[in-house]
Amino acid sequence: MRELRIFHLYPDVLNLYGDRGNVLCLKRRLEWRGLGCSVTEVPMGERARLSEADICFIGGGQDFEQGLLMEDLRGGRAQEIKSAVEDGVTFLCVCGGYQLMGHYYETAAGERCPFIGALDLATVGDAERMIGNFAFETAFGTVVGFENHSGRTRLGGGVEPLGRVLRGSGNNGEDGTEGARYRNVFCTYSHGPVLPKNPAFADALLASALERRCGDASLAPLGDLAEREAHESVLKKVLG
Amino acid sequence: MRFLLAIICCKLLRLALRLLGRGGTALPGQVALRICPDMLSRLSRGVRVAVVTGTNGKTTTCRMLEKMLRDAGEDCFANRSGSNLERGITADFVSNADIFGRPRRRLAVIECDEAAFRRVCGELAPAVCVVTNVFRDQLDRYGEVTHTLGAIREGLDRAAHATVCLNADCSLTASLAADAPDRVRFFGVDAPLGGAAAVSDAPRCIFCGAQYEYDYHTFAHLGGFRCPKCGYSRTEPDVAVVSVGALTSEGSAAEVRIDGELFDVAVGLPGGYNLYNAAAALSAATALGVERRSAVRSLAHMESGFGRMERFEIGGTRITMVLVKNPAGCDRAIDYLRSLSGECTAVFCLNDNAADGTDVSWIWDAGFERLFDAGGAELRLIVSGERADDMRLRLKYAGADEGDIRVLRSQDELLEAVTSAGGEVCILPTYTAMLPLRAALAARCGRKEFWK
Repeated sequence: MRELRIFHLYPDVLNLYGDRGNVLCLKRRLEWRGLGCSVTEVPMGERARLSEADICFIGGGQDFEQGLLMEDLRGGRAQEIKSAVEDGVTFLCVCGGYQLMGHYYETAAGERCPFIGALDLATVGDAERMIGNFAFETAFGTVVGFENHSGRTRLGGGVEPLGRVLRGSGNNGEDGTEGARYRNVFCTYSHGPVLPKNPAFADALLASALERRCGDASLAPLGDLAEREAHESVLKKVLG
Repeated sequence: MRFLLAIICCKLLRLALRLLGRGGTALPGQVALRICPDMLSRLSRGVRVAVVTGTNGKTTTCRMLEKMLRDAGEDCFANRSGSNLERGITADFVSNADIFGRPRRRLAVIECDEAAFRRVCGELAPAVCVVTNVFRDQLDRYGEVTHTLGAIREGLDRAAHATVCLNADCSLTASLAADAPDRVRFFGVDAPLGGAAAVSDAPRCIFCGAQYEYDYHTFAHLGGFRCPKCGYSRTEPDVAVVSVGALTSEGSAAEVRIDGELFDVAVGLPGGYNLYNAAAALSAATALGVERRSAVRSLAHMESGFGRMERFEIGGTRITMVLVKNPAGCDRAIDYLRSLSGECTAVFCLNDNAADGTDVSWIWDAGFERLFDAGGAELRLIVSGERADDMRLRLKYAGADEGDIRVLRSQDELLEAVTSAGGEVCILPTYTAMLPLRAALAARCGRKEFWK
């Protein structure tokens, strides 16, 4: 039986917007297809071998809690994440977790906080928050979600955007990009959580991990009635 | 002159709205504040005010406190309409004043939104402030919990003479004591209740960042917390629920210690979380001079507030309405659903208007999975509201079969289904979903609207 190991990084501090729904979604969609799945929670301070993971999930957190993480990252975790990324492990990083994957976060006051640097991107804080339902077009169809961030992220030459904004702000409210793609890393500002309402996105993550683990990315189709209707209703709301 | 003009406008506008059959308090208050920006502080001169804020339990705590004061013979008024921003509070102070702005009743119980607390405290100079708890709530509106906490702290700074009643079991709320050390009254629960949540809103020490240890959990992040690194820990409360007896669908029995004296209490509202509201109200009432035994007695005869565990009986159908606004509150409603047995219709109405929070992602932080554990009531599931599809999806991933979930999009369909369901019905609506549904159910039961 094909089986995937999902690691949920920092569930104790990065769990702001129903993020665990993404992990639940991946798990259920494997179970419904008769595929195996294990979920390992990796809280702050705990050592785990990320090289054993098939999918790593990192959610968003509050500034207060995100600050606590820096020490943990410097203690070797950052290097471990970088190696896993280069090794082709599938990552889903949302909001704060997305920003963490970049080079740094610079506050509106000009103070620079170095991050993991696994992806060629960086974020600059701004006083004005970008909040609301939004939609963007990706390689696996339209994705709908909710964004709420003050950081403006700019992508470097080494990464692709995850999608193009249809309505909303996306990475920075200016260049029309949303999220980032690099190897098997998928980053987005869409929380909410993003996967249940966007089953094609969820399945794209599963396929990339199955391909790497088993060389067989095939996924039996699911009914997805509730998923499709939830997706459509938000899309209608966003496009007006 | 502006002051008198503002009063007249506010009174006339409110009267006009009532004649139109509307219960609005926000608009008259807003107009009055536009004409005379400092009118709330002028109207509250000579009025002793208790202000209640916090994420969950504000309304019920206010109802309990109001009942304790009235039963003790104090003539008080309150902002019962749930309009808890500065403008709504202003309208209620205008109603309490004569046309020259002189207060009729000299004691007020005021529910106040966390974001408005800072300003309202500056205007009202309260005698007592109560902070019920702090949870994550409507992040699109309030931002992070530390922001909410900061806003409440500023309010307490402005309420320089108030006795401050704080939840001892909430590590976030209790941290406010550092700013008002000599005038704090703690309330809390000494015994375990429902248990911890899947996601804690405060896993790490607010002062040093180390992970808390717990002697016991009551709800979510509430309980006997202690930081192993810096020593910040729960303070022994002045008003404590020391042991919990029977929790039934009619209410709870418990033993309470108030400033060293023990009492048996019966709380006439179901839900273990109402023990927190009871302890909060007891600490405020006794701070305002209500005799302890009298305050305890008042708790037995509570009527549930607007949409908060409110009961309606229509034909052979028993309907309970439990307002839900955030994961912590929703988990308590799920506890209640779990406590039922036999067959039950469970209705979830999810809206995403500004007053509900435009971001509905919080439903994924509430533990709906527990509804599908073995041993609970057999649930017939209905979803409704503007985000009914999101709610159905949440229930599907929690363990429901999507074909078993009815989606009812119109209010008429929903009312028909709810009133003809028979047996036990439990409705969990968000705020703006609650208002029209409650009004329709109340009309069928011949119950009054809140402004009457």
